[in-house]
Amino acid sequence: MKLALNHKDLLPFIEFLGKDHALVAPVEDSGRYIFRSLEDTADITTEYKQTPLPPVKFIYPDKEPILKFDLSDDKHAESVIEAPSQALLLLRPCDINAISIMDEVLSEEPSDLNYIERRKNTLIVGFECATPCRENALCFDKGTHNAKSGFDIYLTEINGKYFAEVNGEKGEKVAEASGFFNRALSEDRVALDNRRIEREEKFEEVLSGNTDELSTLLEGAYDNELWEKSSKKCVSCGACNIVCPTCYCYDVTDEVDITTNHCTRTRHWDGCQLRNFTSVATGETFRKSKSARLRHRVLKKEVYLKERFGRSGCVGCGRCIDHCMAKISIIDIYNDVFEDKGQN
Amino acid sequence: MTIKDKHRLRLPFSAIVEKVEELDEHHKLFTINVEENLLKYKPGQFVMVGLPGIGEAPISITSAPLSSNDSIKLCIRSVGRLTEALHSTEAGSRVTVRGPFGNGFDMEKFRGKDVVIVAAGLGLAPLRSLIDTIRTDKRRYGNVVLLIGARNPASLLYKDIIEEWRKEGKIDVRITVDVAESGWDGHVGVITTLFKEDLYIDPTEAIAAVVGPPVVYRFVIDELLRLGLFERNIFLSLERRMRCGLGKCGHCQINGLYLCQDGPVLSYHDVRKLKEAI
Repeated sequence: MKLALNHKDLLPFIEFLGKDHALVAPVEDSGRYIFRSLEDTADITTEYKQTPLPPVKFIYPDKEPILKFDLSDDKHAESVIEAPSQALLLLRPCDINAISIMDEVLSEEPSDLNYIERRKNTLIVGFECATPCRENALCFDKGTHNAKSGFDIYLTEINGKYFAEVNGEKGEKVAEASGFFNRALSEDRVALDNRRIEREEKFEEVLSGNTDELSTLLEGAYDNELWEKSSKKCVSCGACNIVCPTCYCYDVTDEVDITTNHCTRTRHWDGCQLRNFTSVATGETFRKSKSARLRHRVLKKEVYLKERFGRSGCVGCGRCIDHCMAKISIIDIYNDVFEDKGQN
Repeated sequence: MTIKDKHRLRLPFSAIVEKVEELDEHHKLFTINVEENLLKYKPGQFVMVGLPGIGEAPISITSAPLSSNDSIKLCIRSVGRLTEALHSTEAGSRVTVRGPFGNGFDMEKFRGKDVVIVAAGLGLAPLRSLIDTIRTDKRRYGNVVLLIGARNPASLLYKDIIEEWRKEGKIDVRITVDVAESGWDGHVGVITTLFKEDLYIDPTEAIAAVVGPPVVYRFVIDELLRLGLFERNIFLSLERRMRCGLGKCGHCQINGLYLCQDGPVLSYHDVRKLKEAI
């Protein structure tokens, strides 16, 4: 459904959403932008630069209880699924694409019920960036600077109003119930097309080859020295895993309450770059070297997820580059394999 | 997959420990009463066994399907925090169980064929499920030879049971220890030395099942290939740190596979393509 929203109606629309959704939006905080629960709609900014943590973390939180046990009786377990109604606001295309990858991965049977329930109760309102946000972004190469699905409503600035693409029943319902949206006029569609053409011109490729070839090239580079070279300065901190909008590996821990009658099993993010990620009780660690771990992270995104779901698991947001203490850049790694191809 | 099935795999079942038998200093055999769903397993599958407050660990099922209508058996080595705690549980106490997980051995592939089973160390625990499945229906299989390797006579798992298998005579049991002790009059040498004698199998038709610590796989596979077995007919069960069992948490991933869902049993033909596997 193609609709339009006047500038002055954006905040009232968000306030309307606030009636039955917890609102999560990008806000400025200590000189940077972060996604957080919105207390005042006046804090909202549509012109934000990329946040350190991606918004998907509100659907797949860093810590979340998944089971409760009754220890007083027979260790009976109950499923815990916390899925409050929430609206994630003004998401960029890269982050929307990431959520659509997470949707696919976590819906594969046996599916992740906690994610699926949270996702069901999450409304996603996108907001298209006008220009590339920074040089570490490789979204243009990846084609993820555009969002075609994964949102309920997607706003693009045109001639003093927002063009609103509405996807599916959930988006249509709130758009209609709010009363703030009008049908998009044919001139709005022309304006959108023009804006998109102009926008394409502003993005530049940062990769020296065709991303369709990446999975084949990376697989071919499995035993290449590039992994050793690129991981040399890695400190195995796992920051790249934490900021990645498509990392979903986790571990679980049990916590017994002070009465010793109840136990909560909590899942929390884990990361394949951490040294003990593959350790088993007998002491064996299956991915011992930093280079093997870095290779696994890259191949998981570009080869393994692609084999399973037909699409790359990297949306090119560039967060792993920004937050790497060792300045390891996925752009350099990709360009290395493109360069190797050129030489062979 | 029904909603009930979805919950079954993620929701631990509170189970009563019916019996705990001490096998040796490090190994105990647990008989655990479970619900019907958990009884529908295949040799080579595993369950997540847990103690709330401590955690869960993947343990392969050592009993054979249909061997009991209300319980499964697990052979557990005390090696980590959870397994140590499990060793201190007694009959009548409760543990949690989820599963069964993984693919298990495809028995259809074994039927009518000669079978070589290679069990190194604790590898005999999952393989006992396969061995008992074959024993109870032996006429449907060809010649079955079981090669067992242990570090020393004291660490040989299931001594009494192996003796029963020997006496029964349905399968050809051969044992070796890396290091002998006084009183041991059997074969001495690493497990590959058992391949020096004729196994009386038709190698181009035979199926092999190999389970053991990572280090033995390469050597045993070399022997099997040298004998003339096909890569597709050699099955291995691999070990990784399964946590969720749902193919999500990432700990058991080997290249593009999630061992908890796509394994733990893989043919050597498939394993060879996985650079991280062995």
